[in-house]
Amino acid sequence: MRLMQLITRSLREWIHPLAALLLGLAAGAVAILAVGGSVAETYAEMWKGAFGSFYYAMNTLARATPIMLIGLGVALAFRAGFFNLGAEGQLLLGALAAAVTALYLPAPPEMRMIAALAAGIVAGGAWSLFAGWLDLRFRMNLLITTLLLNYIAVYLASYFVSFPLKDTSGSAAINQTNMLDRAVWLPKLFKGMSVHAGFIIAAAAAVVLFLFLRHTIAGYHLRMHGSNPLFAIYGGVRRGRLMMAAMLASGGFAGLAGAVEVLGTQYRYIDNALTAPGYAWSGIMAALLAGSHPLGTAAAAILLAALQTGGMGVERNTEVPLEIASVIQAAIILFISARFTYAFFKRRKARSSDGPAV
Amino acid sequence: MDQLFDFSLFNSMLRMIAPILLAALGGAICARVGIFNVGLEGLMLTGAFTAIVGNHLFHNVWLAVLFAAVCSGLMSLILAYLTISLNANMIVVGVALNFLATGLTTYCLFAIFHVKGSYYDPNMTGLPKWNIPQISGDSFLGILTGHSPLVYLAFVLAFALQFFFFRTVRGFRMLAAGEHPAAARSLGIKIDRIRYAAVLASGVLCGLAGAQLSLGQVTQFTENMTAGRGFIALVAVMLGQNNPLGVTLSSLLFGLMEAISIRLQGFSLPTQFTMMVPYIVTLAAMSFFKDRAYLQQSGRIEGR
Repeated sequence: MRLMQLITRSLREWIHPLAALLLGLAAGAVAILAVGGSVAETYAEMWKGAFGSFYYAMNTLARATPIMLIGLGVALAFRAGFFNLGAEGQLLLGALAAAVTALYLPAPPEMRMIAALAAGIVAGGAWSLFAGWLDLRFRMNLLITTLLLNYIAVYLASYFVSFPLKDTSGSAAINQTNMLDRAVWLPKLFKGMSVHAGFIIAAAAAVVLFLFLRHTIAGYHLRMHGSNPLFAIYGGVRRGRLMMAAMLASGGFAGLAGAVEVLGTQYRYIDNALTAPGYAWSGIMAALLAGSHPLGTAAAAILLAALQTGGMGVERNTEVPLEIASVIQAAIILFISARFTYAFFKRRKARSSDGPAV
Repeated sequence: MDQLFDFSLFNSMLRMIAPILLAALGGAICARVGIFNVGLEGLMLTGAFTAIVGNHLFHNVWLAVLFAAVCSGLMSLILAYLTISLNANMIVVGVALNFLATGLTTYCLFAIFHVKGSYYDPNMTGLPKWNIPQISGDSFLGILTGHSPLVYLAFVLAFALQFFFFRTVRGFRMLAAGEHPAAARSLGIKIDRIRYAAVLASGVLCGLAGAQLSLGQVTQFTENMTAGRGFIALVAVMLGQNNPLGVTLSSLLFGLMEAISIRLQGFSLPTQFTMMVPYIVTLAAMSFFKDRAYLQQSGRIEGR
């Protein structure tokens, strides 16, 4: 009987995202027909571009890595009831800090790699914590401060990489730091493939976060505050402390995402290289898509990455442009937002006992 | 310093802030009825693209502007329906709308014009420049002349909205709908209808903002040409405290800083810090204003 219950419950959890996915693909089909493409052929190419061969599949996982980590951080904050829209700034500062540490720390390479990852976490976490402090000290809306701090971080990082840290040896047109020492690069998981050890870190982080939220007291407090802050505060949860911890961890994940991207893929900090692919917003979408469930967020990150790499495959081999992927992504999110209706409504009635806050 | 601040600096500033101001006024209308419209960026991009499409279809710049306003208005109805009728989270919908606009405009750029990146047609006429005959270009007032009609419209609208909100019954009802929905509803004010109207108005204004962007300055559409202006508008709304004239002033600050940054680039000085100023000012200003809804939600002041 319990098994039946478990099955129906997980079915209910999955049915909504799956329905949204199908509707999103249907919307994509309309867009494909509009440019006179063949739906079946385009989706076949999309599948091939994302998972068609071992190489492409690994490529997809490499792209999913930063999205997963960012998504996990955002999901953690959402679960605790805080809207962290500052993933972009946290990602950039984490990446920059990792690059600087990996370049200039006088230590053996292995130490430097670990230190660079740690620096990424600290930088991202500190930037996020600053937003939390502004809430605590000045009662400023987190949603707004995190959004504003993005811009400040973008310009700050851009300044450092355009002036003091700029690589002057190569082409002057690109603002980037020097190339990292090969010894500090994160190892590739397979020879000649783009997926690197960062993916293992991200997958492990998803499992750890899942266990933390489900099986620890702190995780319970966090979820309780996310479901109903007033009830949690009444029950003795200290909002300020919880928020600072949640923001620190949330920003730390985004910072780590920047660090693994620099150490595993780009091997230097390049201006705009992390903002242009929209990793931060994709990560936020992954968390939203999965209702802030850690394992679901990881899966959603892979799905979004697959849509993006699949879109590139579509562009290579058909007349349909790459942006079909953005159209499908946006449609999926719009359809999924209908579920938030339900959670949001419940929350307004302050009766919610489970489910994400946002 | 003389080289840094001359009249042409201020003239270009007015031109640059018009799209931001138009979108920010739309954002302010939404904020007044309790909707945090994150989708301004996407709506503006939709406007920029459809203005070019309209120009291509009708060969008339005015019909093109109208077309842009209609299309962005339709797009904004998606946001209105999901957030108001389906009660979906407005941030989520706004973010998704931005993605949808980026995807759709680039996609349709290829579908309609068969080009990628940007579309430019030399036969296309942009918005005319209106000169004010009483003002000569050389005096200080010269900064006011020689702009596209939409630039003038932006400033006129700011004053008109200020009047509408604080001096008319209809405007007052709108404020009431945002200030205390339950109380407003008990007076028979139709909240949902007002909210729909507000979102629609922001869509139309963003359409005009986009048209100014693609037809006012360069007469071309480039992929993602709004480049974050919608979010700047959103910040201008916060800094201006949802007040049309306040929003105008904060837009002017953004425009000034952007114009100075462009000048600094000419001297190859770092522009990042000047570009950062408006955001820091906004952050600092936010600390003085209390966000009541936010504090209530987190249980730090008594709720309604």
